[in-house]
Amino acid sequence: MTKFHVTERAVVDAPVERVWEVVSRTDRYAEWVASAIEVTDHHGIAALGGTYAERNRTLGPLRTDSVWTVVEIDPLRRRVDAGVGFAPLKEVTSIFEFEPVRSADGREVTRMTYKVEYVIGLGPLGLLLDRIQQPGMRANMRTSMANLNTLIRSETLSVRG
Amino acid sequence: MTSTHSTRVDVVVIGAGLAGLTAARELVAAGRSVAVLEARDRVGGRLLNHDLGDGQVTEIGGQFVGPTQDHILALAKEVGVATYEAAVPCERVYVRDGKARRFAGHTPPDLLALPDMGIALARIGRAAGKVPPAAPWRAPNARDLDGMTYETWLRKAEVTGDAVDLINIFLNSAYGGEARDASALFSLWYVSTFGDEIHPGTMERGTGTSGGAQDSRFVGGSQLVATRLAEELDGRVHLSAPVRRISQDADGVTVVSDAGDWRADRVIVAVPPLLASRIVWDPLLPPQQDQLFQRLPFGTLMKCVAVYDTPFWRAEGLSGMGLLRGGSPIREMFDNSPPDGGPGVLMGFLGGKEWRKWAHRPAGERRGAVLRSFAQVVGERAYDTVDYVEQDWTAEQWTRGGPTSVAAPGVLTEYGEWLGRAFGRVHWAGSEFSPYWNGFMDGAVRSGRHTATELLHQS
Repeated sequence: MTKFHVTERAVVDAPVERVWEVVSRTDRYAEWVASAIEVTDHHGIAALGGTYAERNRTLGPLRTDSVWTVVEIDPLRRRVDAGVGFAPLKEVTSIFEFEPVRSADGREVTRMTYKVEYVIGLGPLGLLLDRIQQPGMRANMRTSMANLNTLIRSETLSVRG
Repeated sequence: MTSTHSTRVDVVVIGAGLAGLTAARELVAAGRSVAVLEARDRVGGRLLNHDLGDGQVTEIGGQFVGPTQDHILALAKEVGVATYEAAVPCERVYVRDGKARRFAGHTPPDLLALPDMGIALARIGRAAGKVPPAAPWRAPNARDLDGMTYETWLRKAEVTGDAVDLINIFLNSAYGGEARDASALFSLWYVSTFGDEIHPGTMERGTGTSGGAQDSRFVGGSQLVATRLAEELDGRVHLSAPVRRISQDADGVTVVSDAGDWRADRVIVAVPPLLASRIVWDPLLPPQQDQLFQRLPFGTLMKCVAVYDTPFWRAEGLSGMGLLRGGSPIREMFDNSPPDGGPGVLMGFLGGKEWRKWAHRPAGERRGAVLRSFAQVVGERAYDTVDYVEQDWTAEQWTRGGPTSVAAPGVLTEYGEWLGRAFGRVHWAGSEFSPYWNGFMDGAVRSGRHTATELLHQS
């Protein structure tokens, strides 16, 4: 069994309070998480021990149904969820971390770190499988954070709007 | 039964939409005394202008007209409302699963979808051509066609399923729903109404922009036609007068409204069929007609409008028109700017299952989702709005949905012949009663004229 860690980072152009507010909404993941086609069940604002379910894209045309459990909440700083339904990936953990920073022009923005940890069995075959799937996973994580940035922007009234 | 306080006229017209106003105009021209009772505090029904300031408007209700819609076009001309070409002669954008592609002409750049769409359009053309616009229940195989949904019928010849999804883009705004909401017979009939007595209805004319049903718009907004008609009626239109009860007896009809009672020889009811069934009737409506009207609900539709300083997309060679597939809340959008090109206005339809998904969401989240759809078509400047407006027609008390009635399986063949049948001294008008351009402005005007003529011949 080999444990894998994949980490991507991005700056979301919004204060951490706003980013945290959106990320906490378990009903909204299909709106910004690139791999989520649909949220099929949810418990609203993330709560410890709460679960939510998704229909996900995996590799190419493949689809899966996943269930996530919220296992750690450190308000405005860190969210950890454990997921099942991604075989042959096991012990899948999604970690969001947030840090308030200033943009070059002095605005409050958020540095977001998106980590996914998982285990693949299957020995050498598992390593090969990870080499195939990991680029897509990374791309999805980057796209997700870009989507989150766009979502927040789209819901922010423009100066004149 | 005559109320001592009722106002006496020859004809009471209920509803100051295009059908009711047109009927009233015809009756007044024929020398009849008429009162038009309108529940809202405005005229126009499903036509509604939104003020952009500086004398400019955009429409948040019905708005497009095109070839073979000669009745509305002639009426607009008579009341001094001009038309202008709706389409902007630039490229359109086709978005599938988040990937946007520009295209010219009418055919979306999707090679995998086109064979399916070609097969579907050919089948629709053949089948719709056999449906009599005035009596769809008499079509060959009417009962078979009315025993299944349009989606079921379309899927009988599908290869990839793309045709159903592409047709649903059209039905999203046309029905406020999808192919699964309507019977196949109703949908093929609907297509057969996209024409006139000379030109048989075609899907291409119904869905088309230039040369089709979305060819033109009215200068000053479509509601201006209704406003001008009401002005012509010179005090005969009574606003904020919802009708609660209609009683018929041997000598006439008593109409009870919140603004007073009227006594008339005859009545024209020109409100949506489902709302007509909610009026208190004495005696009751014929049960078949009552059941029919209960089975003709409007779809679920919201118009979403974003306003910008300028139609910036035109400078980038874009028409502002987009077709979106793959989970986008907006599936079809248009440049809805006033004729002189400023300010810029983008309009998208949020209908059917997308309405069901988004209508109850917080306004800010829905607005964001709509603007993200717009941004896929015209770029990120879509977020830089100066105004944003939504018109949810399901929330309109005196419409309860939009844009038109959609019949599920079984309705037309079992109850359809009761559609326009006069009930004693009560006659029916509205775009849902028209054999041509059913559900459109032209259908409303046709129906108003037809019903006025029917009434004049009987009284």
